[in-house]
Amino acid sequence: MYKALVIGGSAGSFQVITRILSSLPKNFPLPVLLCLHRLKHVRSGFVEALSIKSTIPIVEPFDKETIKPGKGYLAPANYHMYIELNKRIALSTEEPVNHSRPSIDLTFETAAQAYRDKLIGIILSGANRDGAYGLKKLKQAGGLAIVQDPNECQVKTMTEASLKLTTVDHIFTTEQIIKFLLNLK
Amino acid sequence: MVLSDQEVQFFVNTIKNSSGYDFSEYSDKSLKRRLQKILLDNNSDLLTLINKLKTSKDFLEKTVKDITVNTTELFRDPQIWQTLKYRILPKFAENRNINIWHAGCSTGQEVYSMMILLNELGLLDKAKIFASDLNTDALDAAKKGNYKYRFNIGYLDNFDKVIKENPFNYEEYNDVPYSKYFKIDKVSDSIQMSDFLRQKPIFRQHDLVQGGNLYFAKFDLILCRNVIIYFKYSLQNKVFKLFHEHLYTKGYLVLGMHETMLGEITSKFEKKGQAYRKK
Repeated sequence: MYKALVIGGSAGSFQVITRILSSLPKNFPLPVLLCLHRLKHVRSGFVEALSIKSTIPIVEPFDKETIKPGKGYLAPANYHMYIELNKRIALSTEEPVNHSRPSIDLTFETAAQAYRDKLIGIILSGANRDGAYGLKKLKQAGGLAIVQDPNECQVKTMTEASLKLTTVDHIFTTEQIIKFLLNLK
Repeated sequence: MVLSDQEVQFFVNTIKNSSGYDFSEYSDKSLKRRLQKILLDNNSDLLTLINKLKTSKDFLEKTVKDITVNTTELFRDPQIWQTLKYRILPKFAENRNINIWHAGCSTGQEVYSMMILLNELGLLDKAKIFASDLNTDALDAAKKGNYKYRFNIGYLDNFDKVIKENPFNYEEYNDVPYSKYFKIDKVSDSIQMSDFLRQKPIFRQHDLVQGGNLYFAKFDLILCRNVIIYFKYSLQNKVFKLFHEHLYTKGYLVLGMHETMLGEITSKFEKKGQAYRKK
């Protein structure tokens, strides 16, 4: 019944996201929209690093690229990644939001507008508050909100900020997130 | 503040009816975000804004400037500049003139990047540099060639990668001093481009939506980077047609890292990475 999965993460999320992407079935039924902060000088190589372990193909999408199930879309360095209502990617070089470009808030908010109650959102470990507002928007649009268990996070700021702002559906450890995703039809 | 699509439409129509600007083929998501930001910055609701747009020409011009996105960097995406340095610009070395158009040049950092690169290749004298943007404030900044040092400090690494290093030969290193092209003043937080660069380009206001050839020239190379991401597919195609018309055969169009050409027009170009060569 779900149509898309959106994941946001920052400091301490790389190993978690790698673990998740390596555990998905090859025929995972949803597109995976990834908005992950990276260090400023890490402009390239990130998508390759994720691809090594991922079971599904991961791309840094082009502007206007059509979103397809079973594929991962990583917000490119230094661009905001929006989801248009016609389920295409839109990129933008507008100012950073909360010091972040890509901004997790913007990807989540626009994904929520596009997929409404057919969207699953997951916030992972991170060192700033980006994503909290986006997850709230996702929840308000009827989506399913999941936050990584702060006790398990390398850095708790992002998950705690999200939990403060929104009553989420699940607080999951990495293994619970994987189990949940494997059960999706 | 959340605007509906109808409200954004109302704004677009007002601008269109009161001026020559037409944002109806701009990408929905960023247009809506820009409008929300303008309302927030003006501490205004939409109706008040609309009324002001109708009555004040100056306010309308200012709003149009605020709608456009003006982010650019020196040597943004070094790999593209390396492609220009080793694969594209040398092809024009035997030309008598090299015509280059920066379409949507914003505050001009890439115009200066291009001139620096051309100078290092010994091609600056035969190059004619044209640079246009919709936003006249951005053009004024481009003409001044004065940038914040702290904001641009990371991009000096890009300068080193493109100008000093050779990715195909790690033993090669050209120790070109920054002072050859710009003066860095850390106290006043400024990077000032040298006069011999500033005087070179022909800067003009131009709206890609209107089309037309504002320079009455054809080009060997057109750079239009991170501009068409703000356009809908239909307008993107119009702009590609415009570029195709004004490129010499075998001339190049260079787009942003994550921009791509789609549809019928692709058959008229040969694609190599982010560079499209007119067939």
